[in-house]
Amino acid sequence: MPDEIPIGQPNRTPTPISFQPKKNTLLVSHGRPPWYGEDGHRISDAFVVGIAGGSGSGKTHVARQIVRSLGSIPSVVILSQDSFYKHHTPEELALAHASAFDFDHPDSIDMPMFAKCLSELKGCQQSNIPVYSFTTHQRLEEPKYLYGAAIILAEGIMALQDPGLRELYDLKLFVQCDSDLMLARRIKRDVEERGRDVDGILEQYLRFVKPAYDNYVLPSQRHADIIVPGSNNTVAIDLICTHIRRKLQEQSNSFRQKMAIPHLYASPSGIMIPECRLEDLSLTILPQTRQLKGIFTILRSRTSSRQDFIFFVDRLSTVIMEYALQYLPYSSRTVTTPMEAAFTGKVMSAKYVCGVSVLRSGGALDRGFRRVLHDVPLGSLLVQSNSSDGEPLLLHVMLPVCVRKRHMAEETWVFLLDAQIGTGAAAFMAIRILLDHGVKPEHIIFVTFLVARGGGISVLRRAFPKVNIVTAGVDDTMQEGRLDGSQGEGSSGRQVWAMMPGLGQIGDRYYL
Amino acid sequence: MATPVAPPQPATNKSQMNPLPPSVFTLPQTAQLEALYTIIRSKETSRGDFLFYSDRIIRLLVEEGLNHLPVVKKVVETPTGATYEGVGFEGKICGVSILRAGEAMEAGLREVCRSVRIGKILIQRDEETALPKLFYSKFPQDIASRYVLLLDPMLATGGSAMKAVEVLIEHGVPEDRIIFINLIASPEGLRTFCTKYPQLKVITGWIDLGLNEKAYIIPGLGDFGERRYCE
Repeated sequence: MPDEIPIGQPNRTPTPISFQPKKNTLLVSHGRPPWYGEDGHRISDAFVVGIAGGSGSGKTHVARQIVRSLGSIPSVVILSQDSFYKHHTPEELALAHASAFDFDHPDSIDMPMFAKCLSELKGCQQSNIPVYSFTTHQRLEEPKYLYGAAIILAEGIMALQDPGLRELYDLKLFVQCDSDLMLARRIKRDVEERGRDVDGILEQYLRFVKPAYDNYVLPSQRHADIIVPGSNNTVAIDLICTHIRRKLQEQSNSFRQKMAIPHLYASPSGIMIPECRLEDLSLTILPQTRQLKGIFTILRSRTSSRQDFIFFVDRLSTVIMEYALQYLPYSSRTVTTPMEAAFTGKVMSAKYVCGVSVLRSGGALDRGFRRVLHDVPLGSLLVQSNSSDGEPLLLHVMLPVCVRKRHMAEETWVFLLDAQIGTGAAAFMAIRILLDHGVKPEHIIFVTFLVARGGGISVLRRAFPKVNIVTAGVDDTMQEGRLDGSQGEGSSGRQVWAMMPGLGQIGDRYYL
Repeated sequence: MATPVAPPQPATNKSQMNPLPPSVFTLPQTAQLEALYTIIRSKETSRGDFLFYSDRIIRLLVEEGLNHLPVVKKVVETPTGATYEGVGFEGKICGVSILRAGEAMEAGLREVCRSVRIGKILIQRDEETALPKLFYSKFPQDIASRYVLLLDPMLATGGSAMKAVEVLIEHGVPEDRIIFINLIASPEGLRTFCTKYPQLKVITGWIDLGLNEKAYIIPGLGDFGERRYCE
């Protein structure tokens, strides 16, 4: 998975990023904390820094130094202007291959696309950014999917040139460097990384790069908040990072007060929040048949064998999935049977259907999902709660293509799978991620074994009233306590919010 | 504030037969069940899809059939230390499939009832008398003490199903301990069957229009065994 590079364990001290940060790649140091409040709405935009400067002035270096100096940051992306070169006509292509195309003029950059992608990322949505190949001088067919950055560093010679872009920046930097140094760096880079010859580079420099710098790049420095030296800039970077940290701190202070974490959902004594009556939660509860009750009895019993537990989880997940399928849209269809008789029935009419399981315990529903929907994509999210404060952390996102692409996401129906809704923290985050991608709330079908009435479900329901929630059963309360027989995640008897009577930690019982 | 749309209410399949005999149970008539039947009925459907979607219906039918088995109260302790008043399954079961189409339902049965014992029975029409005749049967030895899930996908005239029940009763299985599971039934077959064995529960997925002159169900889905195994 080249898209994301999670480092370190969520429950331990975050490890600083210690490698050469790649461009257009989401860099994650320790998982992403909630970016939304109890009402389900986003609390703040991503923090966007614009970095302009001449070619070879050291913009990328400055961006990378900022990433390094910030150290423990939730998630950051360096967005490069190079990705946004326009799609070339055959004539332009011929010029480009002859080193005779002006890549340094503002018109060569697809500014509206740059601004669109940046504004999507700033608004915490997914963005599918174009990929430009310097070898073929052409924009590639398949864009690159990015999602979930808390800080965005947008760099490019024209980064401060376009007013539409400038509006999106929270901080504007201009990297100042001597022309001879810039040329020296440019020659070295183009020869080593892009396979050009020196004559071509020099011709291009005098013909396009220098005039563009004098006419467009240098004048744009008047828009900058800070001018950064192109070399020996440790002090400047330190000042910038201090500023960014302070701004992020201001955000997160207001953030924590409103953050959707478990202690807001249930009182420590486990007493139910009074307003959450079952009928207000609009849950779809499976018909409580004899078999269902019998299956639950086996699943709840601490003495059930592993074999039985796995078998009945698979059987129950199949039953729930069959039941949940009624939320898909259907339209009428007439077919001819082998008896040459007509039969008017129904056909499922959703354009795209997919599943997303919230790992680890959501994986317990995968088998049932596959028995019912064998040919649709099944993505996953890894959300773990931080053991110290119960704050959920997003560690990994692997979503189906029909969710990644925004225009498809609007017509996609998603079965969101998680074993239970207790505190609701993981469910909350998973739903927010789908909404960020443009999935309609009424197209989300949350499928689960068990919901705690006294848990986070009431907050979840208030925040996302249109999401369908299908559950096999409902328990009354949540209690804070040590979980019996819990293994894994390197802890002995974790402090957890447990559902009562519950069925224990489903993930542990299903997998360990 | 918009609330989620209420799921369509389960309706019984009464359009072809009203009232249903008291021993007949159908699946909730949801849009998605209709969609499943639309797929398996269409003559355009590939064998792969026919297998997958008929298995889904069979699982739903078996789940429904099992709900008619008795349960006893059972109290267990959960991993969180709480007690839960649940139920335990009571009584042993076995499946009996009527060859050859009934075998197609065994996979679905075993997905719901792990390692369940399965008896077999072959009944064919006697060309001299034109009556169904027992050719072969193999049952678990203790079948008389088990609940029997009798499997045959199509209930047309009901002739072979009634013959199968007759054989089971001869082997000591009480009538009220047999549950007959099928995907599609004809109203005339259902009427004959339920009149002869009123104590026996029938779980059917769909009640169709009726039979044609060759005693095939209309609109039906053709020959289930043929489509599942041969086409």
